[in-house]
Amino acid sequence: MNQIWIIARLEIRRAFFSRRALWVYLLALFPAALFLGRGVSVNYDRREYAAKPVTPATLLDRLPTGTTDKDALAAAGPPIRDRQWRRGKVEHRSLHYFDGYNRVWLQFENGALQSTRRVPLHSFAQDSRIYAGVFQYFYLRLAVFFGCLGIFLNLFRGEMIDKSLHYWFLAPVRREILVLGKYCAGLIAAAVIFGGGALLSFGALLSYQTTADIETYLRTEALAHGFWYVLAAVLGCAGYGSVFLAAGLVLRNPIIPALVMLLWESINGFLPELLQKLSVLHYLQSLCPVPAPLDPSAPPLARMILSPAAPASAWTALPGLLVVTALVLYLATRTARRLEINYGAE
Amino acid sequence: MSHDLILFDGVSKFYGEVLGVNKVDLQIPPGITSLVGPNGSGKTTLMNLMAGLIHPGSGSVYVRGISPFAPEKLMRILGYATQYDAAPRGITGLDFVRAGLLLHGFPPAEAARRAEAAIATVSLTHAAQRKIAAYSKGMRQRIRLAQAIAHDPAVLVLDEPLNGLDPLVRAETIALFRNYAARGHHVILSSHVLQEVDVFSDQVILIANGRIVAEGAIRSVRDEIHEHPSQFLLQCRQPARVAALLFEQAEILEARIDPAGSGLRVLTRQRAAFADAIQRIALSGVAIDGLLPVDENVDALYEYLIGGGK
Repeated sequence: MNQIWIIARLEIRRAFFSRRALWVYLLALFPAALFLGRGVSVNYDRREYAAKPVTPATLLDRLPTGTTDKDALAAAGPPIRDRQWRRGKVEHRSLHYFDGYNRVWLQFENGALQSTRRVPLHSFAQDSRIYAGVFQYFYLRLAVFFGCLGIFLNLFRGEMIDKSLHYWFLAPVRREILVLGKYCAGLIAAAVIFGGGALLSFGALLSYQTTADIETYLRTEALAHGFWYVLAAVLGCAGYGSVFLAAGLVLRNPIIPALVMLLWESINGFLPELLQKLSVLHYLQSLCPVPAPLDPSAPPLARMILSPAAPASAWTALPGLLVVTALVLYLATRTARRLEINYGAE
Repeated sequence: MSHDLILFDGVSKFYGEVLGVNKVDLQIPPGITSLVGPNGSGKTTLMNLMAGLIHPGSGSVYVRGISPFAPEKLMRILGYATQYDAAPRGITGLDFVRAGLLLHGFPPAEAARRAEAAIATVSLTHAAQRKIAAYSKGMRQRIRLAQAIAHDPAVLVLDEPLNGLDPLVRAETIALFRNYAARGHHVILSSHVLQEVDVFSDQVILIANGRIVAEGAIRSVRDEIHEHPSQFLLQCRQPARVAALLFEQAEILEARIDPAGSGLRVLTRQRAAFADAIQRIALSGVAIDGLLPVDENVDALYEYLIGGGK
């Protein structure tokens, strides 16, 4: 254990600040930036609508389909915005109101009310679902995936390219210990970067919610959700990290393992149940506290790629992922025992 | 299993289709052993096999009874300064040596002390805190040597260790090798500087095309080369007279007056008879100032066994 820790300590700076992997930080921070941007937008809307006249929702709800625009104006009063346009023979009119919570659009055709569209000025439940989507479709599938590719592949392959791997092989350290030490260094770096990224983005999501929403959420699910999101990110690093570390021991071109792994993870939902268990994403999705929304109108290919595999319970997913990780690491250590220094081939 | 020898038993190593070494059998005793051979002859392959950086396709290697497949044991007794010029990025010379010692399990304070001592041994103290990336080729050579010796290994393997060193440091480094060998340690090195190898090696291993051409003490290797007569420089003030006496008393093939004027150059296949004749000539009153073997050196062995392509 002591040697593993010494190796991890010697490697950790390289894992954090490798020149080849600075883009990893961009991937990790992207969701936080996204939700900070969303927060700026929501706060701007709040300020904007705070100055707008409020039309009671009960008043707008009483307008039945077919009401004329003149009657609607008489009942609801002057709108925030009144837009009129013609398309073909149809005269369109849209009256925009604000009921204090929702933005409401009354849609008229040839002077008769056709539909009423309500969009909440801001909905925590909706944002929470969007966050779940961003976390599962972008963060786990792409950011953590490619981030781990950058960090873990570099641990051995990067040293072969730099022609410095032999220094490790000349240390009185079992190759298995070397693999585990380097893996720990990569895992610590990846966990801090992507666990931190998950925490930051979750914080960014909460940063612009109303006080009432925050208080309710904190009293109920906030801590559990935050915990599971961070844990999913960290376990994603553990799972993908083991795969890419092993790939770095045997393959020269990182594109190949990345594509194969990405394909495997993408089609995992369609594989037999036994094979689904050999997927990192299978377990990670099961750990996420909020199901990611999947638009039924999305193209079939996108639905195929994004649809989750049969979920496992969190307490099955956790040891399942650790078993897959341990299995891959075991294979990596076996490979490392036979690994030779042959820089001429790099 | 001998615990004071380095053993190669029927070792072959191919890099794909390319031959590294073929059917190598060696028993290397402690002392300074030089691997000599042309580029691509297999010197580095032998060293890498010893250190476990590569593994034999067939046969086995043992270094003082330890298999290179057990680096956790082998590297405690072996230090290897490779020919690879790269060093980990952004690291100072001191940190580089210290990191190796930490992996050996030395406590941080002891690791720092040993690292400083090793760096001082290779006369690099002034640059210890500088990044290796800013080192000259010779300094990088020395810092690798410092890392190899820092844990005081019983087997020191050095690939072209004298390359890029200035004369003073070169002399100090050779003294270091001698000191190591005198303590019963192995010093295995490869070098192209044949004259130097000749001076400090206890034995040589001549390699060509992945095969061991000759091994042993330089004198004994020379004795085995029967197709080339022995060459001597006989230092005397009457070379013509001495030449006449030699032709009468010994089976010499050729005697020429040395162009530098220092005596007579003699070729003979009968070393013992030649030595007896010289003794008799000297006892008869003809002044003989000295007798030097001209081809009992690595350069000549190299020339005889491998050819001129050094």
